[in-house]
Amino acid sequence: MEEVQTQKPFFENTPGLSSGEESLPFLSARNIVKKFPGTLALDKVSIDIYPREIHALLGENGAGKSTLVKIFYGIYVPDEGDIFIQGKKVQITYPRDAIKYGISLVSQTPQIIERLTISENIILGLTKYGLISRIKNIHKYLIEEGEKLGIKIDPETEVWKLSYTQKQLVELLRAVILGAKVIILDEAITFLPLIEKKKFYKFMREFTSKGGAVILITHKIPEAIEAADRITVLRKGKVIGTVPKKEATIESIRKMMFGERVNEITYERLPLSQPLNETLLEVKDVWVYGDYGVYAVQGVSLKLRPGEVIGIAGVAGNGQLELIQSVIGLRKVDKGRIFIKSNGELEDITNKGTGRIRSLGVGYIPDEPLKFGVSMDNTIEENLAMLPTISKRIIRWRRIAELAKKLIDEYRIVTPSSRTQVKLLSGGNLMKVLVSRELEVSKKMLIAYNPTRALDEVTAIMVRKVIKSKAIKKKIGVLFASEDLDEVMQLSDTIMVMNSGKIVGVFPAEKAVREEIERLMVM
Amino acid sequence: MRVVVIRRVKPLPFGGIIIPLISIIIGILLSALVLYGVGVPPDIYFSTIATSFLSPQILRSFVLLTALGAALILSFSGAVWNIGAEGQMIWGMIGAGYIGVFVAASSYYISPSELPIYQAMPGVMILDASPTKPVISVLHMAPPLGQALMILVAILLGGLWALIAGSLKAFLEIDEVASTLILNYIAYFSFNYLVSEPLRGLSVQAKQFLRTDALHYALRFVRIPVPGTTVTYMEVALAVGVFIIVWFLLKYTTLGLRLKILGSNPNALKAAGVSTRKYIIIALTLSGLIAGSVGAMIFGANFYRLEKIDNIVTPPTQNMGYTAILVSWLSMLDIRAVPVSAYIVAALMQAGSELQARLGTGGVSGIVSGSAITYTLIGFVLITFTILRVFTEYELKFVRGEKSGE
Repeated sequence: MEEVQTQKPFFENTPGLSSGEESLPFLSARNIVKKFPGTLALDKVSIDIYPREIHALLGENGAGKSTLVKIFYGIYVPDEGDIFIQGKKVQITYPRDAIKYGISLVSQTPQIIERLTISENIILGLTKYGLISRIKNIHKYLIEEGEKLGIKIDPETEVWKLSYTQKQLVELLRAVILGAKVIILDEAITFLPLIEKKKFYKFMREFTSKGGAVILITHKIPEAIEAADRITVLRKGKVIGTVPKKEATIESIRKMMFGERVNEITYERLPLSQPLNETLLEVKDVWVYGDYGVYAVQGVSLKLRPGEVIGIAGVAGNGQLELIQSVIGLRKVDKGRIFIKSNGELEDITNKGTGRIRSLGVGYIPDEPLKFGVSMDNTIEENLAMLPTISKRIIRWRRIAELAKKLIDEYRIVTPSSRTQVKLLSGGNLMKVLVSRELEVSKKMLIAYNPTRALDEVTAIMVRKVIKSKAIKKKIGVLFASEDLDEVMQLSDTIMVMNSGKIVGVFPAEKAVREEIERLMVM
Repeated sequence: MRVVVIRRVKPLPFGGIIIPLISIIIGILLSALVLYGVGVPPDIYFSTIATSFLSPQILRSFVLLTALGAALILSFSGAVWNIGAEGQMIWGMIGAGYIGVFVAASSYYISPSELPIYQAMPGVMILDASPTKPVISVLHMAPPLGQALMILVAILLGGLWALIAGSLKAFLEIDEVASTLILNYIAYFSFNYLVSEPLRGLSVQAKQFLRTDALHYALRFVRIPVPGTTVTYMEVALAVGVFIIVWFLLKYTTLGLRLKILGSNPNALKAAGVSTRKYIIIALTLSGLIAGSVGAMIFGANFYRLEKIDNIVTPPTQNMGYTAILVSWLSMLDIRAVPVSAYIVAALMQAGSELQARLGTGGVSGIVSGSAITYTLIGFVLITFTILRVFTEYELKFVRGEKSGE
């Protein structure tokens, strides 16, 4: 392939940049092709990232967003195509190459060491200071650098004490101190509440005003429109187009992302279920410790009826996760009792173990699906067969293969075969494997945390519809917590708001007012 | 042009066979070089290795290593590292020995005058024909029942010994590598205590050498009539049985699948409602059960008695519990490859002792012992394998363009 070594600047393609700025893209990709077994992940993708811009990369699950940035960061090597840095052709084959060129990646899971302090974490990669430097000077330097970007830190805090947002900010600060010129945020802030997101937006603006560039990967269109200068949409491995913020509307971007399937998107409340008038799950004044020795759940009581969908809204870290984990038996209940109906009677399942609880016909979609949901080295079939509720002692692989095929068709899971290791699937498809499996085993009840995390709009809505129709038709009780208020509003029959470990509000869905819920969440 | 290492999307085709094979060839070449340095002629070295692959003498280690390799694969698939097959075998020996010498048959003093009567009596074995205090062994049950009981108790004790390390890991999170290893030495010394005191035999030799009386003839496992080999029917049956059971467990049962998932993501197992503690214990205990049964074979097919281990470096188990780690490692935790790697390792072990015999006249054996040769060879194979193994998951790619960062 003939490719010129120096990119000609093309001014007309750089809207969103103030005139007179650098017109040479900092980072360019030309005709990138990447194949995985059974799928063409990237099909001749070309893109330019200019200094001083925030560039959003949008696309549905498996569109190739993550693959593209992994190529920028040297995790994958492209099969074809070239990468240019400031017009010069380069090879990025390891993350260390990328870091040398000033490319940093911040992913959904913070890559910092919990046991060390902030400064220890940052010093690990720092060459500015030699082996023998006064810690005081380094601390001073870190505080100053942080202030320049609007991040307040105490360098001596251990990382485990920080919130998710703070950890991500520390990662960003580290990237900047290590000399990043392009920072890639791979779904890093998608799940943060708006107020927390604002901190990142502020940081991104500070960073770009100093000449840096940000690539923001997200599947949330409003986020892209609010934060970015330009938006590039990928669909099935191809670039559909790049539009400046001014020209972007939610409708036009959706159309680009989903094509014909855009009509499937709706945020209307799903039809209400008619719960039976009995108790399926009862949580009675439950107190649960969080990770750091304080009560994360402080006396929560609730009742779930068959067919009812209860959604718990709340800002992350207000005890929803601990509550969900204690109901499924993964976290110890310190005070209070939990009952589930079994054979017509309420059985006390407090601290009885996940195996017992699941055997009553309870499905579970966990937070952190990669850690708790699936086993990456195993195949889709093996990930199905591992559940005690799917396979007893002897595994009948033919039956498992049929089940896998059914789920793959029903949920449109993109995979070469049902015997593919799940680590080879895209994030969204992997999530579909988990969600479809858990819905399959939810004979009586489904417990979930962020059930549609990492799914694109069309798939997320599809999953919500499946959950709701199972609740309506099969009278399954659903208790879920979500950091996405849209999801809670759309899916629930009953909305509960959790704040500081307590339920601070209960609303029937038809009477719920968004503003009121938001007020209770941050109260 | 530069060379980069990238992760394979698809595993290397036939990687499970090619990589171990290349490792063995490179290992043999490298060890030849080192041994040449200390005076082992390469031509003799190579020819010994070649002939040992065809020697019927390797049959027995091949069979036992297959059983042990399969046992370790069970625990290794769960990322539970059982280094304690030695100790589990020792307890298997103790169990089989106790049943064989004290329960299925037992020894008695008789008066010298009764000796001719017992000599003529069927089912009685003269252990010690000394004119002052003769000792006989009398059978108490049908030999097949006695043998079955020997193996059963061996399995039980081997499993119980592994259960100790399993519980330590499951409930106290004590690392199994350290605990199983330490338990090996405890097993050796318990063995020594037991044969020196409670299990010590009546015969003159037993008094002299700190050992049990010998196993009754009728209870000894029968050898396969192939010249040059000492393997018994029982051992072959055991290896075949263990191989089939482990293969079935790993392929067709939730137990096997969950062990594999325990090895790759224990958190997913917990969220699925499966107790990881239980599976850690299962992984260690199952492999201990099998190792215990191999201990019964060592007793019933070869030694016929338990004797104090004078040198802990050369226990009656011949360190097969450690060698089996190599077998399962070489098979890349694929049960189907276990017999192949067991065969190769058995041949290499045989080559070591063969060499010592052949070089004995050349005066080299003073410097290099047979086991030293074996371990040099096996060590090199293992190192090469560990390095080459990377290529099952990664590949080298040549890319054009300048070197990065310059």
